[in-house]
Amino acid sequence: MAAVDAGCDFFAGYPITPATSILHGMMNELPGRGGVVIQGEDEISSIGMCIGAVAAGRRAMTASSGPGMSLYSENIGLAIMGEMPLVIVNVQRQGPATGSATKGADGDVQFMRWGTSGGFPMIVLSPENVRDCYLLTFCAFRWAERFRCPVIVASQKEVGLTREVFDLEEARESRGPEVVRRKAPADGAYLPHDFVHHADVGPLSPMGGSHVVRFTTSMHDKRGWLTKDPEEIQDMMEHLSRKVTDCAEEMVVVDEDLQEGAETLVVVYGVTARAARDAVDLARERGGLVSLLVVKCLYPVPEARLRRAMAETRRVVCPEMNQGQYVHEISRLARGRKVIPVNKMNTELISPGEILKRISADLFQVDEVSGTGPGSGSGGGARTGSGCDRDGL
Amino acid sequence: MSGGSYSTEESYSFCPGCGHARIVAYLEEALRGFGASPEDVVVVTDIGCVGLADRYFATNAFHGLHGRSITYATGLKLANPRLTVVVVMGDGGTGIGAAHLLAAARRNIGITVVVANNFNYGMTGGQHSTTSPEGALTSTTPRGNLETPLDLLGTLRPARPSFLARGTVFDDGMGSLILRALRTDGFSLIDIWDNCVAYYARRNQLTRKTIHAFMEEMGMPGGVIYEGDRAEYTQAWREQYGVPNHLSSVPVDGVSSAVDLTDTESADLNLADADIEGSALEVKVGIVIAGSAGQKIRSAATILGGGAIASGLWATQKNDYPITVRTGPSAAEVVLSPHHINYTGIEDPDVILVLSEDGLSYLGRRLSSLSEHCTVYVEEGLAGQIPTGPRIIPLPFESTAKTNNRSALAAVGIGAVLAGEGLYPVEAAVEAAREIQKESIARVTAKSLDAGALLISGMG
Repeated sequence: MAAVDAGCDFFAGYPITPATSILHGMMNELPGRGGVVIQGEDEISSIGMCIGAVAAGRRAMTASSGPGMSLYSENIGLAIMGEMPLVIVNVQRQGPATGSATKGADGDVQFMRWGTSGGFPMIVLSPENVRDCYLLTFCAFRWAERFRCPVIVASQKEVGLTREVFDLEEARESRGPEVVRRKAPADGAYLPHDFVHHADVGPLSPMGGSHVVRFTTSMHDKRGWLTKDPEEIQDMMEHLSRKVTDCAEEMVVVDEDLQEGAETLVVVYGVTARAARDAVDLARERGGLVSLLVVKCLYPVPEARLRRAMAETRRVVCPEMNQGQYVHEISRLARGRKVIPVNKMNTELISPGEILKRISADLFQVDEVSGTGPGSGSGGGARTGSGCDRDGL
Repeated sequence: MSGGSYSTEESYSFCPGCGHARIVAYLEEALRGFGASPEDVVVVTDIGCVGLADRYFATNAFHGLHGRSITYATGLKLANPRLTVVVVMGDGGTGIGAAHLLAAARRNIGITVVVANNFNYGMTGGQHSTTSPEGALTSTTPRGNLETPLDLLGTLRPARPSFLARGTVFDDGMGSLILRALRTDGFSLIDIWDNCVAYYARRNQLTRKTIHAFMEEMGMPGGVIYEGDRAEYTQAWREQYGVPNHLSSVPVDGVSSAVDLTDTESADLNLADADIEGSALEVKVGIVIAGSAGQKIRSAATILGGGAIASGLWATQKNDYPITVRTGPSAAEVVLSPHHINYTGIEDPDVILVLSEDGLSYLGRRLSSLSEHCTVYVEEGLAGQIPTGPRIIPLPFESTAKTNNRSALAAVGIGAVLAGEGLYPVEAAVEAAREIQKESIARVTAKSLDAGALLISGMG
């Protein structure tokens, strides 16, 4: 829905659990709106068709999971090189390789950051719920156009295939500025890779439009012509990096819930943020002081915000559904603070209890169930006591 | 169009005598004959020596990754069917990108593919390729190639694309053959046998004089090999989806086609206005429904969640089922809460609904660690298999469903759970069924929910 609202009118994808529902959804939504949807013969062709469609003026998206992301890898580099706006949804699943195909994990975090040759910055957004899927996908389209580069939405099975209450109209009102494709003026010469300052991002002109346009996978100058000139090449490298890194402050999306006097900070992203919120609530109910920072734009890393949130703390707890990935970003900013990873990759969610245990062992204890038992008899009274209310404790 | 307007007039960087220069000239000649404006032509080049060809065309040029040129060309054509899209690739590209070539021919997408087929990888030092003949001497087959060469046209022909032809760089009329391909609506490919003067031709004595005998020896003659009459893909697609032309034509100004937000009709639940008595639930409740595939577990869970929403609760639903249908277990986890739900997992279920043996085996280990506050609603014949601990309520779901409708077994179970647990009024679930399901199915669901609720009140 966010993609459609953002003006996406081209989708190519290859079936893969747990991302197939997006292919089906686009199949339902786009054709009636003048959009094109196609099932590629594989993930390589799917992303390739998207890049071709963008070159012809469309707004494109593709969606896959870990194995497909692996096949996207080379073409992600092409989209960076050719400065093509493109949204890639990675509904992560547990793995390496085929892994547990129908189960969730956040195992691709560093892979999404460093997933193509050459080592260029990536923009990676991480939703924790359905509302975020809408807002961050919309945002991904905006930034893909703003920076003319691929943007990844890092969902996962536990986000993408969970049904929950969601107010679409509220999300539409909250989504921020519209997605704008800046187009080159029809008259005059067009430089596909124009910039004065390295961080400048020029407009697009579609093939089949007013200009003859050149696109190449090879090192090129501002006109899109192959170049071997080391100075020109370095200039272009600076441009491709700095248009993203110089604007990192624009891409800070965090949800901060800091508590005065807290010595412990929980830094978390994706679906695990939901358990962390419960864990932090429980810790506070039990008299603990604890701060929470949910990172929704993983890359560029919101370094200044992380440093500020950590400033008064002594311990940083980093729960994530992998063997420890984003914790490396935290560790390099932690400056001597104790960094406590909480990792699980057994296909199950990390529970609030597992996080609470690492926030403070003292606060972690099982209370007796309070309230009345479950209602019985016909149309019995409402429940007031529950196991789920104390989940994972 | 005047002659020469498709050329950048750059001097060629190919090895002296290389057939690639001829192929570039043939394509320019064909484009001149075709006459589309250079702004509406895209030359897509693959990787390899012939991949350098894009710089000689004053048209749009797209030089992409090795073997993937067909995919970019397909995307360009799908995005804007008005474009003339030509792919220039080598025999290397037909190997690494073979799947794309086959798919493009099967789709009959309206692109023209010119293959500069020189039987080896010239750019990287003359290694054997998919088209190297048996016995060919290349840098990676110094004792002769052991692989059977790919008959490109013979391979694509069963896919019934619009136009398949073969020739050599030395043949007259290659320009007009390419022009015929350009004038074909669907997928067209010309396999042009080419001489790599640096490696293959030198090592294997391939010359202007021997190339035709070589074709004969290979059983791959020149000329138009096949012409199909299937509809071109983008045209067929537009027809099938009834896409009006003003929408499917290019966003020439770079702005995507208009998207009308007013018709974003949602199949999802919109129960906010339903006149339903609110729920009195005070805590978060975790419910696991476990049964067999085909028992409509997922739909029933959606009704359970939908009814909760209708009565003012928050709800989440997760499903677990095998990749097959109508066999094996199927399960759903539903969390209901009077407050916003963060954590969606259920470590310690409050309610379990077991509908079949499959459901029992799915729950497996979990059954032995259930706590006292958990209530298990279970098909009566299976109750004995639940370890002691939780409160167990055996009920005749199956026989009750049989008198109503077998496919609504899970809905009977949900009705019992709603009545037994007092989560919210059964009417809310009935309302959710009306919103979500087709009328006839919703009626069955409503009866089944009520029948389930009656099982509980009947217990007194």
